[in-house]
Amino acid sequence: MALEDYRGDMEMCCRCSACKFIPMQRVKGLQYANVCPSIAKYNYHAYSGGGRLNIAAAMLKNGFNYTDKLLDIVYNCQMCGACGVSCNYAMDMEVLEPINEFRLKCVEDGQTNPALEKVINSLRKQGTMITGARGKRGDWAAGLNLKDATKEKVDVLYHAGCLTSYDKDMQKLAKATVKILQKAGVNFGIAGNAETCCGGRAYQMGYKEDFLNQAKKNMAMIKKAGIKTVVTGCADGYQAFKVLYDKYDLKGDLEVLHISEYIDKLIKDGKLKPRKKVDISVTYHDPCRLGRLGEPWIHWEGKKVPGDRFVFDPPKVYRRGTHGVYEPPRDVLKSIPGIKLTEMTRIKEYSWCCGAGGGVNESNPGFAKWTAQERIEEAGSTGAEAIVTACPWCEKNFSETIKESGGSLKVYDIVELVEKAI
Amino acid sequence: MALSKDIYKAFEDVVGAENICDDPVIMPAYHSAELGAVILPKNTAEVQAIVKLCNKYKLQFRAVCTGWTGMFPKGIIYLDMRRMNHIVEINEKNMYAVVEPYVISAQLQAELMKRGLHLNMKGAGANCSAMLRGHGHLDQTTSGDDRNQLAIEWVTPEGDIVRLGSLGSSDEWFCGDGPGPSLRSLINSAVPPGVTPGVFTKSAVKLYHWPGPPSFPIEGESPLYTMSEIPANMMVRYFSFPSVEKMWEAELKIGESEISFELMGFNVSMVAANITTSNEEETEVFERLNKAVQGPGFMVIIAGNSPEDFEYKKRVLQQIVSDADGKSLEAVEDPRIEGILLCQCIRISASIRETFRNGGAFNSIPIMGQRDLTIKWAIGAGKAKEPLIEKGLIVDDGGAFFGWGVEQGHLGKTEIFCKFDPSNLEAKAAVEGWQKEQSTRAFKERYFANLLMGQTEEIGPALSNYHLWWQKFTEAIDPNGVSPGGGALV
Repeated sequence: MALEDYRGDMEMCCRCSACKFIPMQRVKGLQYANVCPSIAKYNYHAYSGGGRLNIAAAMLKNGFNYTDKLLDIVYNCQMCGACGVSCNYAMDMEVLEPINEFRLKCVEDGQTNPALEKVINSLRKQGTMITGARGKRGDWAAGLNLKDATKEKVDVLYHAGCLTSYDKDMQKLAKATVKILQKAGVNFGIAGNAETCCGGRAYQMGYKEDFLNQAKKNMAMIKKAGIKTVVTGCADGYQAFKVLYDKYDLKGDLEVLHISEYIDKLIKDGKLKPRKKVDISVTYHDPCRLGRLGEPWIHWEGKKVPGDRFVFDPPKVYRRGTHGVYEPPRDVLKSIPGIKLTEMTRIKEYSWCCGAGGGVNESNPGFAKWTAQERIEEAGSTGAEAIVTACPWCEKNFSETIKESGGSLKVYDIVELVEKAI
Repeated sequence: MALSKDIYKAFEDVVGAENICDDPVIMPAYHSAELGAVILPKNTAEVQAIVKLCNKYKLQFRAVCTGWTGMFPKGIIYLDMRRMNHIVEINEKNMYAVVEPYVISAQLQAELMKRGLHLNMKGAGANCSAMLRGHGHLDQTTSGDDRNQLAIEWVTPEGDIVRLGSLGSSDEWFCGDGPGPSLRSLINSAVPPGVTPGVFTKSAVKLYHWPGPPSFPIEGESPLYTMSEIPANMMVRYFSFPSVEKMWEAELKIGESEISFELMGFNVSMVAANITTSNEEETEVFERLNKAVQGPGFMVIIAGNSPEDFEYKKRVLQQIVSDADGKSLEAVEDPRIEGILLCQCIRISASIRETFRNGGAFNSIPIMGQRDLTIKWAIGAGKAKEPLIEKGLIVDDGGAFFGWGVEQGHLGKTEIFCKFDPSNLEAKAAVEGWQKEQSTRAFKERYFANLLMGQTEEIGPALSNYHLWWQKFTEAIDPNGVSPGGGALV
């Protein structure tokens, strides 16, 4: 669907400002009531979910006038979808989809952000979102003797993702995952140097064609290798394979699981037993693209029923962020002896973003870190020693922000704690 | 309508470059108005400086919080109060809270519940400013707007800072009338223009006892939040009555007996809106509930301070309802629905689902006055909706109105609205016509005069020539005419 298809949704915005806050009955006090990093940082209503819809609707009506300010608004958004969850508590309308379509249109019209262009150039040349990546994608697995899923028959393909593959500080996550899967006796493999970017982050940045290219490459490889199940180590990868590929009818019957879901399944099936005590108090951060944006895509096509209400034929089922992956990572943490899990105020579908999504990490690192700092403070307010996440992008942004600010909060990916426990 | 460079610079010097913007691209987000600029002050001193500059350059200004709507003349300076978002004080002993404009009701309420306190939540919603003047579901027990604002820090249209009420003679915020200057009748205008000139930069909000838990035990995922259990000594019921007279009789007795925590004169379409999570579901549930009620009704929340108090209140309620031939709506007795309504009507203050979800817009006629009188008018206004419903121009809500008593007595709030799709121009015109016609009828038949009619030579003489006094007042405090009427701080 194009931006024009969301005209009715955009005009439904009643300017209530619910998109700025977590759902009202979840507000626990003055602090941690905000849900949208963009409006929280930049304050003008134009930076809120509703404001973005107002602007897009006006441009549809009056023509697109690209100015520096407009592009500042467009690209200073993590595309985290929290605005839509809060809106859709009360309203039946799409919020993130038209915001996304507006960004796609900006890119289509050549109104790009230079920092994001650089990343996309890297994707086009090297197949990765990591600019200046050195070495080969599969180098992290050197010496591990893993199966090559493109050549050998495996039950599961482990897709490590760009950041985990190329960033030396993040390769530990892939290695921990391998250790866990081996311990559970899973017949798995990797694509190694044949693995390529899932395209999800390119899509978040507005580059639809680049995303589609990546998606097609990945699905061609998967089909050729006869792979039935993909396990991703990254929330962006999870959303790409599970939701976005499906949105564009590319997924087929591929089973897509995030590593936290898969570990949860292995534990519940008795194939993995976290026995070693890990004495630490933690709080869990829901990555946006594993949580609210990780819920399955719902294919729908219909027309508005003429009349007094915003209803459709056939009825439209909205994705309100409620069917994301919320319990499996929590269940995994609870299964590890010694771990004390305390929840933050903003969790699950109304979780605060880590700040790294939507290209903000690359286009405005200061804003990405500002967003992370807010989450780090919230995590600290629970009394936890560590914040646990399930996405390398979250972990990296949190870790770098804590390093800069001199904080003492530890940061883990869930696989690191499971690795300690087995 | 851009400001000159010099004027822009003058404002920029007050708030900093990041906090002023006149780029046309942001204006659609500000009611699509042709604003002079949007300015984000962070404190009273900045508001004062901005207002003084507005006077110097003869620029109109208006302050807005979360901002549902408003009227914005071309070139007006828009004060977006977002950065003024602090709770200055919660005084538990004297039962007031002092807030800046952008503290929303949900935030203050959550802080208060932890302390066993509560505030009058406005019908505009928990998403609006906690210092918003207005009416809400708790009016029967907490009264409405002009009773709940205590001392106020006010930047007048000329840029003077006036500390109203007890704040005028001390640093205490406990009273709106003194010792110190009281301008209650002027700053709380319930008649046209319905907005106070100038800017309220801090306000003390009166607090009440909260008999419920420190927080609600919410479970589920959006949009299906409910409570894992109904808090002790709390209950929600919806009663329908065979006639409006019977309903009014029960409402009055409930007020006199002071047993309810909240009495909200919902019609069943509003119940349906609150307990459902989509338009399709709402339509189906409304039809079902509409068949289950015997006539007009209201929702009551009982909150006991002890099991004994709860039991007493329930028994009194039962007696009153029985005497008025009332009937409980079975669907609301389901604890899951009860839980949703407790959340919706205490924490959310309901409004978005009720008003905007169906078609995206609504036009309303709200009235304060003698409740039985305004109900009589509302019945006629409801009947006048029927042709619009038949033509499919507005949402079928049974032509119903809603409202509640204020201060446990005869005074009350009554409101009726039409929900419609604003992109349907025929519907929009029909609703505006209905609104005008019913407002005019209300005045001609001497029910009330409302804001929609504006200040006119016709209404003024009927209300002690108040309009002449109001004109003199505004000329005195706003000699440069920089603070226009209309709109509200929401």
